[in-house]
Amino acid sequence: MSDSESSILQGTLDLMVLKTLEHLGPLHGYGIARRIEQVAERALIVNQGTVYLCLVRLVQKKWIKAEWGVSGNNRKAKFYSLTKAGRKQLQAETANWERVAGVMGRVLHPQTGS
Amino acid sequence: MPAFFHTIAARIRGFLRPGDLESDFDQEMAAHLQMAEEDGVRRGLTVDEARRAARVELGGITPLRESWRAAWGLPWLDGFALDAKLGLRMLRRSWGLTLAGGLAMTIVITIAAVGFVFLDEFMGRTAPPLDEGERVVALQSWDVEAHRRRETPRRDLERWGATLQSVEDLGGFQTVERRLMVESRSAEWVRVAEITASGFRLARVPPLLGRWIVEADEHVAAAPVVVIGYDVWQSRFASDRAVIGQTVRLSGILHTVVGVMPEGFAFPVNHRYWIPLRSDPSGSLKPAPEGVVFARLAPGVSLDGAQAELTTIGLLPPATGPASGDARRPRVVPYTFAFTDDVERGELAWQQRIILFLISLLLVPPCLNIALLIYARTVTRQEEFAARFALGASRGRIVVQLCVEVLVLSSAAGAMALALTRPILTQIGEIIRRFPELGGSLPFWVDFDFSWRAAFFVASLTVLAALIAGLVPALQATGRVLPTALRSLGSRTGIPLGPTWTALIAAQVGLALAGLPSTMELAWGHLRPAVLGPGFAAKEFLTARLAVDLQTVPAAEADVPAFAPRVRSMQADVVRQIEAQPGVSAVTFAAALPGAEPVTFVEMDETAVGGRRVRRYVRANQVDRAFFTVFDVRALAGRTFDGRDFGAAATAIVDQTFVRQVVGDGNALGRRVRPVPAPGSDAGPWYEIVGIVPDHPANTSQGRMYVPAPSGARGPASPIYLALHAGPDPAAMSRRLHEIGTSIDPTLRLDEVRPLDEVYGESQITSNLTSYALAIVTLSVLLLSAAGLYALMSFTVTRRRREIGIRMALGAPPARMLAGIFARALWQIAAGVAVGVTVALVLHRRLNIEVEGGWHIPGILPAAAIFMITIGLLSAAGPARRAVRVDPTEALRDG
Repeated sequence: MSDSESSILQGTLDLMVLKTLEHLGPLHGYGIARRIEQVAERALIVNQGTVYLCLVRLVQKKWIKAEWGVSGNNRKAKFYSLTKAGRKQLQAETANWERVAGVMGRVLHPQTGS
Repeated sequence: MPAFFHTIAARIRGFLRPGDLESDFDQEMAAHLQMAEEDGVRRGLTVDEARRAARVELGGITPLRESWRAAWGLPWLDGFALDAKLGLRMLRRSWGLTLAGGLAMTIVITIAAVGFVFLDEFMGRTAPPLDEGERVVALQSWDVEAHRRRETPRRDLERWGATLQSVEDLGGFQTVERRLMVESRSAEWVRVAEITASGFRLARVPPLLGRWIVEADEHVAAAPVVVIGYDVWQSRFASDRAVIGQTVRLSGILHTVVGVMPEGFAFPVNHRYWIPLRSDPSGSLKPAPEGVVFARLAPGVSLDGAQAELTTIGLLPPATGPASGDARRPRVVPYTFAFTDDVERGELAWQQRIILFLISLLLVPPCLNIALLIYARTVTRQEEFAARFALGASRGRIVVQLCVEVLVLSSAAGAMALALTRPILTQIGEIIRRFPELGGSLPFWVDFDFSWRAAFFVASLTVLAALIAGLVPALQATGRVLPTALRSLGSRTGIPLGPTWTALIAAQVGLALAGLPSTMELAWGHLRPAVLGPGFAAKEFLTARLAVDLQTVPAAEADVPAFAPRVRSMQADVVRQIEAQPGVSAVTFAAALPGAEPVTFVEMDETAVGGRRVRRYVRANQVDRAFFTVFDVRALAGRTFDGRDFGAAATAIVDQTFVRQVVGDGNALGRRVRPVPAPGSDAGPWYEIVGIVPDHPANTSQGRMYVPAPSGARGPASPIYLALHAGPDPAAMSRRLHEIGTSIDPTLRLDEVRPLDEVYGESQITSNLTSYALAIVTLSVLLLSAAGLYALMSFTVTRRRREIGIRMALGAPPARMLAGIFARALWQIAAGVAVGVTVALVLHRRLNIEVEGGWHIPGILPAAAIFMITIGLLSAAGPARRAVRVDPTEALRDG
């Protein structure tokens, strides 16, 4: 993975995790990693370990919370869920991302943008 | 922003509970791998393949664990702890540096901390220790042109009280002195607060017994009442609970005791007696610190809000004089600020900052010395740094490591300073309080307590010291040394101590020597009177203060010039009574006691040496005819005062130090001298010198000039001092003086009866403290110089060990070897001594040490030079011994 890819990933991974948790509800780390891989359809290579570091970061910021629970196949797993602050952050980051994506789209395809 | 603080808090929790997080991580990873493995098997992989794929997709447990730990804990703190541990080890190894550097830092930080507490007590505090003390303010009449606090007219006080909405409990006080008599006990002069009833409401401290002063007491026709303090109640009324209703006499007027305030209560400043401030619209309150208008800010009102309202209301035009030239403006200031000098609020903060900055600068000389030592040591650690550098540590990391090492040393010094400051402050506080002239008027909010602000200041100095002493050598060592060291890694060729540092060593020796003679002379000048004494039996002389109690004299009468002869006649009566005592031959009066004379700037007439007018600070006193007889001081040349001097002739007598300092080698008799009170103001009249007397007291550093003052001529408002030779039993005479003091006309007051040696002791305190501080600072500078030289010599020996071994093996004689090895270092000492002697000579010529309170010590400069060379040689002795003991075989093998 090149530097530019990883930096894009770092900036967006938090948003992906928050969105996944909003969409699917409380989920364990493996589930989140798998979901992001599925959605990315191999366009993004996400190291599953990186997801855990992202989860630590989000827990520390109190945007998500972690609780031990039991998974579908009866295994003990740590479940992450969105907090109120996280939901607010997700809204803010989504709006920001859409704004940036829109600007980038217009910059890269000026004829379709106008 | 909350997310940032949440992260910090989470990291601190993680740092404190690393075990919980580790087990959390293990469990979570185990669950993850198991789920991934099961998923793989479901996708058709074998169990082994699925397990391998799960680990590959996760990206490796060990690096993830490292990142996880770093994300949860405080990694820089771990690094800091390691550096600190290393620093401690280094300090143990270089104990010389630890001792010398630590001691110097401790001394300087302690001095700075004590200075800070004083500064903070007198300039920094804004809230007195009262309930909501920060809302208590003072209202002043401020002269914007003269920058002075003026007296506050009582009609303004009353108008402010009636109209101001932004403050409450507005009132005022002024300090007056009253002669207190309780039943049959002897009279005593006490400071009494004339205060409005609102002062007690403002202080919010309920009385222990009885009541406060109330508004009705302020009425002119009300019966006089007094509220007393706790210690007065204990000492004068033996803690009698029936004290309420008893009477005391204050300057002859009977007052009924109506209340006793609890222990520690001394509002408004340091008072123990409170009487009502009688309503008097035509009067004025004295300016601070003797009188102040106080109030409490109303709820929700700020200082600026109160100022705005007060500015609108303003001051009434002056009762007399034109209103147009009135430069007075009302201002609101924090209460304690009113007692600080005549300054603007912003000015005070700046003054405080500048003094703090200057205090902090004290750190620079010892820290630069320590920096030099640290640098010498880092050079010997070149291989360690080079190895770390080669292994990937950045330059910044090594710089941080070195700074943390020094921080360990400075923190130890800071901790020592913290431990020392409190007892020193307690001691100083006790000394100040023991002497009424110094501590009698200390406000109740000054407690010389070691505050958290002082602790923060010490902590800042500790970090600053580490930065000064650690950063420079660390940057030097890693900037210049590292690449060289990298190249020489594995070989034993040393790297040279840079020219900057060798120059610094020479400069250090030079500076230590340059300052040494002047510092010693200053210290000796200050300490001399205490060590050698006043030159006569001062304890056999009794002194007392004689003043007119204006409170007992109707104002109209006191203003009349004819009042002065009345004072003179009363004073003559006192003298007669004292002289009638057995053993007393004469009493003398002077404006000041010998040894406590005020300092005055004087100039000599034009006919002085080379036609130049010599101007100097001297001590000046006005004395009567008996002065020299009573103290048995005889003229060395010319004469003492006689009848001729108390007429129209303006004559003066000077002492030997005056002649030496002001007149020089010429004949002083017949020359003229005059006081020059302040730059720009008119000089006083010329006085012709008619006599030269020995120094009295002896051993002080400033010259003295005496001019005649007929007894009592200073007028009723200024006190004069009397002195008499009481013989070997001054205690008996002291009792007698007290009795005379209480029996004389109530208009006159005779107090402060004490032996002359006590007066000397008091005036000597600050001098003693100055000389001790000078001695301690000098000692630490010398210690550091010695340590610097020692480090240099040790470094030289370590660096040239192999060369020494070879030369020893070839049979070089030890003496020649030593000369060869230490040639450079000895040259540096010699260069330093040369620089030091030159600077000291210039300093000696430029700085008039006697004016600064010093005393010439003959031969001090050569003695200091020899002393510095001896210190240099002694510092070199240890490394020299090691050099000649180098075992050639070992040195060659190591090399």
